[in-house]
Amino acid sequence: MSEWTKLYDAVLNGDADAARTLTEEALAAGAEPQSLVDDHMIPAMDEVGRRFEANDFFVPELLIAARAMKASLEKIRPLLIASGAKPKGRVALGTVKGDLHDIGKNLVAAMLEGGGFEVVDLGVDVAPEKFIEAIESNGVDIVAMSALLTTTMPSMKTTIDAIVAAGARDRVKIMIGGAPITREYAEEIGADAYGDSAASAVAIARKLVAA
Amino acid sequence: MDSTDASRPDGNAADRPPVRIRLRPLGKTLTSTPGTPMINVLFPEGVEFPCGGRGRCRGCRVRVLEGELPVSPEEQRLLTPDQIGAGWRLACRQRVEGDLTLDLAQWESAVLADESSFHFTPHPGCGIAIDVGTTTLAAQLVDLETGRVLAVRTGLNRQARFGADLMSRLSFAMTSEGASTLASRIRTQLGELIGDLLAAAGGEHAERVKRIVLVGNTAMHHLFGALDPEPLARYPFETPTPGTLEFDTGSLGWKGLPEGCRVVFLPCIGGFVGSDVLAGLLATGFDRRDKPGVFIDLGTNGEIVVGNYSRMVCASTAAGPAFEGARITMGMRASTGAIAEVEARGESWHCRVLGDGEPRGLCGSGLVDAVATGLDLGVILSNGRYADGGDRWTLREPVALHQCDVRELQLAKGAIAAGARTLLKLSGLRAREVSDVYLAGAFGNYLRLDSARRIGLLPFGEDKLHPSGNTALLGAKLSLFSEHPQEACESLRKRIVHFSLGTDPDFQEAYIEEMGFPRKRPPAHREKPKETRRP
Repeated sequence: MSEWTKLYDAVLNGDADAARTLTEEALAAGAEPQSLVDDHMIPAMDEVGRRFEANDFFVPELLIAARAMKASLEKIRPLLIASGAKPKGRVALGTVKGDLHDIGKNLVAAMLEGGGFEVVDLGVDVAPEKFIEAIESNGVDIVAMSALLTTTMPSMKTTIDAIVAAGARDRVKIMIGGAPITREYAEEIGADAYGDSAASAVAIARKLVAA
Repeated sequence: MDSTDASRPDGNAADRPPVRIRLRPLGKTLTSTPGTPMINVLFPEGVEFPCGGRGRCRGCRVRVLEGELPVSPEEQRLLTPDQIGAGWRLACRQRVEGDLTLDLAQWESAVLADESSFHFTPHPGCGIAIDVGTTTLAAQLVDLETGRVLAVRTGLNRQARFGADLMSRLSFAMTSEGASTLASRIRTQLGELIGDLLAAAGGEHAERVKRIVLVGNTAMHHLFGALDPEPLARYPFETPTPGTLEFDTGSLGWKGLPEGCRVVFLPCIGGFVGSDVLAGLLATGFDRRDKPGVFIDLGTNGEIVVGNYSRMVCASTAAGPAFEGARITMGMRASTGAIAEVEARGESWHCRVLGDGEPRGLCGSGLVDAVATGLDLGVILSNGRYADGGDRWTLREPVALHQCDVRELQLAKGAIAAGARTLLKLSGLRAREVSDVYLAGAFGNYLRLDSARRIGLLPFGEDKLHPSGNTALLGAKLSLFSEHPQEACESLRKRIVHFSLGTDPDFQEAYIEEMGFPRKRPPAHREKPKETRRP
C-alpha cells in the first residue's frame, strides 16, 4: 500500500488535517480500511514511540501525532465496525481516584489506539467501582491505571483490591504507570505489568493480550 | 576608619590581611578576603539582589558609613549625585578591598520604601514576620515604631527530611503520628529561629514583641497548625480549614516572649495557594491596582494571579523543581561554582560562574539562559531538540546541558506560560493589556528577563516585568502594622477566585503548545535602554 505513505508521514508529523484528508482520499479510492491502520498508522505510531524513546520526540510531538491519528481513525472506525473487524484488545483506562493529571493517561490512550486497541477512556479521578463497571459492561481485556502523585498511588491498590473483591480479577490484566510508580510497586500491589513511558504501553498491552 | 586598597591589584589579595565588614542595622561583623565581590559577602547574610547582581536595579544599595568605595558607571546612572555623595553604592558593583561599615538599605526600605505605596502607621512595640517556605524559612524582627528591621534570620525547613517536595511531605503527614511530628518539628525550629532573631538584635527587644505573623502555602499552614492534611493529598485539593490560625506563644512552646504576644498564621486562598501569595499581593500593591496585572511566583508550585483590586483569579501549576536547578543533570542551587549566566557572543557563548571559580553545575537562571542562548545560536531547535541530534551541549567544561534538561525546562516553562495564558483568557484579557507583571520569589530575582522571554516563559514586554523578591515576607511584615493582621488578608481573599487548571481543557491545550519554544526572539526586547525603574 505504498501509495498511501503520505498518511504515515501525516501521522508521524502530527498533521491532523492532512491525515483526515488523506484517509478520505484513500477510502474513496478503495483502500482497505484495515490495511490503512495496519500498514500506515500503526507503523507511524510505532515510529513516534521509537523517536520518543530516543529523545527525538517529546510530549508535544507525541500528542499532536496522536491527534492526527485520531482524526484519521474517526473516518476509518465506522467502516471497521461495519466490516466486523476485531480490535487487538479492549482497554479501560483512567487516572485513579484522587488524581487528575491526565496528560500521561491521554498519551497512553493515544498510543494504544494507534497500536490497534480499542480504548474505553474512563477519564480522571476514577473510582474503583467505575473500573469494575467497565469490566462488567464493556468486556475489557486490560485495565490501565495511572497516578502522578505519591499521595494518590495507594488508590491503585484500593482499585485492584476492589476488582479482586468483585470477583473480576481473573477476567482482566492490569497495567499501571505514572511518575512515582515503579516495577516493584506494581508487583507489590498485584498488577500484571508496569510501563515506564507512554511509548512502552503498546508493547506491554500486546504482550498482555497474547499471554 | 580608613582603608583604600582599591588601587592594589587583586592578584596579591591572599597576601593582604582580611578585611572586616560591619553591617548596620544588625551590628554584625563579617570578615573576608580583600578583593571578594561584595555580593559573595552579603548574599549569605540574606541580602537580596533583585536584578541578579547585574547593576540594573537599586535593590541592593548600601550606604558606606565608614571606609570608601569607588563609584561605578552603573551607580552614576542609577543613583543621584546626592545619594552618591551621601555614600550610597550598589553592593553588586563593589568588591571589598578594605574595612567597611555599611548601612543596608534593603532591610529598612522594605517598609520605609520611598515609593508611596508602603505607608505605615507607627505602633508601639515590635513584631516578627516569618515566611514559612517548603524549603526555606525567613524571619525578620521589625520595630513597629520606626519600621526598621532589627534582625534577619533564615534557615532550611527541617521538615524537609520527611519529604523534600510537598506531596511526599503530605504523604508522611498522613501516616500515624506524621502530622504531629511535622507540626512539632516546625514549631520547635521557628521557636529557635525567633530566639536567634531576638538575640541578634541585642535581646532588649524581646519584651516589646506584640505579634508574630506567619505566611506560607496551604500545606505549610496545615502542617504548622497540625490540621488534617488528607484533603490536600487528592483531587479536588480543597481544604475545609483554610482560615486564619491563632495561637498564644505558650501553646507553641515558644519561650522568652511577653504575655499577650499573639501568633497568627494568615489564611489560605484555595487549593495549595496560601497566605504567601496573599501577602505577596499586599506587598506589590496588587490589592489596590485598577489596571490589570499579573503576579507570578516562580516556585516548584508556580502560583499565578491575574486581575485587579476588584477581582482576581488565581491558580497553581505544577512547574516542578527545574527552576531551582533540581532534576537537571548538572543542576545545583545558585551558589559558588554555578553557571548563573550564559550569553551568546557572535557564534560562540560566554558563561558567568558564581564566585568566579571553576564551574561545577548549572543553577536555574543559568538553565534558562543556556536554553535561550542555545535557541539564538541554533544549537537548540524550537521543538527543544538539539539541532545536531546529539544529547548534550558542553557549556564550559565540565558542565553540559543535556537533552533531558531542555525537556525538563520545557515542562516547567510550559506549565507557567500555559497557566498564565489560561487565567488571562478566563479574565478576558490579552497579554498586552496587562500593565505590570510581578515576579515573586528568589528565582524571579535571578532570572534574566530577556532570556525568560526568549524561551517563552513570560509572554509580556520586558518593561512590564518587575522582579519583586520575597514578597511573602514583605507582605507579612506589612501585616504586622495592624492590630489584627488577618483583616486585610481576609478581605482580600474574598475577591480572589481559585481556579483548578488541572481539569480545564483550555489549559491542557495551552500546555501542549507552550512546551515548544518561540522560533525567534520576541520583538522589541531591546528597543530602548534598560529599564531603571525600581522593581
